[in-house]
Amino acid sequence: MRYLLRRGLWTVVALLGVSVVIFLLVHFIPGTIVDILGGGEGQLSPEQRTAVMHEFGLDRPLPVQYAYWLGSMARGNFGWSFRSGQPVGQLLVSRLPITIELAVLSVAGVAGVGIPLGILASVSGSLRVKTAVQVIGLLGLSLPNFWIAVLLIIAASYLFHWLPALIYVPPWTQPWVNLQQMFLPVLSLALGLAAVVVRMTRSSMLEVLGQEYVKVAQAKGVTRAGVLLRHALRNALIPIITVLGLQMGYLLGGVVITEQIFGLPGLGWMLLNGVYQRDYPVVQATVMLFALTFIVVNLAVDLAYTYLDPRIRYQ
Amino acid sequence: MARSDSDARERVSRRTFLGGGLALGGLAALETLGRGWRPAPAWAAGTPKRGGTLVAAQEVDPVSLDPHTNSNFSALQGYEHIYESLTMYDQKMNVVPCLAQRWEITNGGKTYTFHLRPNVKFHNGQPVTADDVKYSIDRVLDPKTASPWISWLSAIKETKVVDPLTVQMNLDAPYPDLLGSFAGLRASGIMPRGFAERENLKIKAIGTGPFKLVEYAPQDHITYARNGDYWNQPLPYLDGMTFKILTEENARLAALRAGQIQYAALSAQGAAQLQNASGITVMKSPNAWVSLHYINVSKKPLDDARVRRALRMAVDTGEVIQKAAYGAAVPSGPIPTGYGDWSLDPRTLPYLKADVDGAKKLLAEAGYPNGGFTVEMSCSPQYPEFVASTLVVQESLRRLNVTANVVQMEWGAFVAAHNRELQTGGKEGGVIFASANTFRPGPDGYIYPYFSSKGTLNDGGYRNPRLDPLMVEARAISNHDQRRSLYVQIQRTLLEDSPNWWWYAKYNIEALSTKLQGYAQSFTGRRIFLKTAWLSG
Repeated sequence: MRYLLRRGLWTVVALLGVSVVIFLLVHFIPGTIVDILGGGEGQLSPEQRTAVMHEFGLDRPLPVQYAYWLGSMARGNFGWSFRSGQPVGQLLVSRLPITIELAVLSVAGVAGVGIPLGILASVSGSLRVKTAVQVIGLLGLSLPNFWIAVLLIIAASYLFHWLPALIYVPPWTQPWVNLQQMFLPVLSLALGLAAVVVRMTRSSMLEVLGQEYVKVAQAKGVTRAGVLLRHALRNALIPIITVLGLQMGYLLGGVVITEQIFGLPGLGWMLLNGVYQRDYPVVQATVMLFALTFIVVNLAVDLAYTYLDPRIRYQ
Repeated sequence: MARSDSDARERVSRRTFLGGGLALGGLAALETLGRGWRPAPAWAAGTPKRGGTLVAAQEVDPVSLDPHTNSNFSALQGYEHIYESLTMYDQKMNVVPCLAQRWEITNGGKTYTFHLRPNVKFHNGQPVTADDVKYSIDRVLDPKTASPWISWLSAIKETKVVDPLTVQMNLDAPYPDLLGSFAGLRASGIMPRGFAERENLKIKAIGTGPFKLVEYAPQDHITYARNGDYWNQPLPYLDGMTFKILTEENARLAALRAGQIQYAALSAQGAAQLQNASGITVMKSPNAWVSLHYINVSKKPLDDARVRRALRMAVDTGEVIQKAAYGAAVPSGPIPTGYGDWSLDPRTLPYLKADVDGAKKLLAEAGYPNGGFTVEMSCSPQYPEFVASTLVVQESLRRLNVTANVVQMEWGAFVAAHNRELQTGGKEGGVIFASANTFRPGPDGYIYPYFSSKGTLNDGGYRNPRLDPLMVEARAISNHDQRRSLYVQIQRTLLEDSPNWWWYAKYNIEALSTKLQGYAQSFTGRRIFLKTAWLSG
């Protein structure tokens, strides 16, 4: 319990740090919403520019803007998008499910496929199997996920004459259609991630399988499966789960490009557009949300350790 | 005799082909693109029929549907089906009546009296009156609205309601492009009085157009439904339209091939992939998009017209068209080729072929016999064609022993830098900027703001005392032929002086399912004529 309280405190500190960094970063990008509104061709007169800056509060000193933003966030008000005028909180809530679904399905896919493949590679005697897994791993690591994404679109439409429905539907409305829409994006995200997990699983399993307690289990007469799953895997999982937790960061980044390519209206694409449009409230709030998610996921990973390894206990 | 729709288009195309569209570069380009091209056909064979929902691809998210405050073209693409103005364009780029049935221009061109079409209703059933027109125009001209296109209407000093169907506008000086400013729809959409104060115009829209807004889900899709009470019956034929936002061109191509969408705008490379696709027609025609480089003429040695001209002479326009537009463009001067009869015949443009010797001589005359200086060129990789044209220039300038430093920046940063250059009179921000001019309501929009001593978009303070009075005169004359000869003279002088480097007018390339009929391309690059289109089969 004290452990959770301490982690909670550190979370707040970390989030504060993130807020300062993102606030400064976003304000130091050259160009403001005024330039975007004027565009390359239309032009705003000096009076118009001043009016717009004032409307968005950008003419106040930076510390004042920061304090105001922080205070609003604490009260649950995330501001309004400079571009669409919609409340940012509402935007976050409407887009979060899509990105979460993408990330969760990817992790599930990776775990469901990558871990068994890694186990296979660690116990298999066949050179072909081991090489195949290594090659797949290498390809997954080397090929950029946006390239894989485009290849998948082309392959699906040219070779299989199949494309999912264009307009996004949430999973609670039409689950089957939604899964179809998620299939290709998840695949493109998962391939890169799987490579890391496969290699991690394989090396972790190899290390664990060489341990004495595994030999004891085998001597006791535990079945092959039992040895693998109950004794070896549970111990091998610790580094794997660490990697998966860290990969959430990668996933959140990969999600931006994947969403854009497949036209999924998620958080990642909203963030990207927000940066292009210099839409400060949107960018700041989304990054804070990503940071929070990352911290929470890693907390979950740390708590998972206690389940996997009883020796680990937090004070 | 049996005629397929594509044959009909081909036959019509040769006749309606806009004069000046064929040029050296253009011809070569057509050959390399292979399968014949189809410029905006007037009508396809077949009878229009009601019904059906068009599923189409939108290339860039509109971001906001406010018809007065958006500078991005994608916003116009989003709201152009919903809002209308006093005038509109027909397929030949003539300004024709829309919400205004007729008008009188009096007082030496300074007073416009518009008689509104009776019984036109907004999408919410409210009738259109002169009050709504006054409200909309006033909103655009209000500095607090911060409309980037205010200069299109700023000639209007006062808008008066004469009676419920008559509006009078008083200008401070004659401005013949005013009618085109309404038709251009950048900041002229008519909305119900008080609408902007009641609703968030970025996501809600009420206009008089052929289609009503059903839903705009940012970054996902926009859906429209037929306006059953549209004043221009029997249009539109389509029951509705859904535009799915697909920024990735491969996704658009895949969806076209799979028959999931019946319309998409493509680049030249994308269209080339559809060469053997069945059930899909690709239409191409010149478009109001002049690719160019703005030059900050306050920076030495670019303040000398001979230097600017020499550098331009060293670059082959055909090469730029090949590398930047993949051949899908025609050479252009300041006014884009194909804009009625305002633009110069591309075959008569200077600099079509590189003339390195002439350039070297000119540089020597200007005091740089062996080149030996550096210029900075800015561009943004978000528009690969601008990067390509800039790199071609860089390569060509090497032959003159002139170094070009190419600086690539993200588009927002690029715009900010260019704005800084404009605001500081050229002291900071950059030297040469790769960009494009899109549609303007008349020839004046391509000339006066950029090159007049009072122009607000004048890079580095370009002054040509000979041209200044001509530009002022040309923007006020209503006699078409006199105006035209003035603009010919102005353009020729500008091409010699080279305060900008103009390259080409790009083709607007649109791919349609053969099921979609009755569509015609518009020189404005907009999808104006979806209102005359129907789905067959």
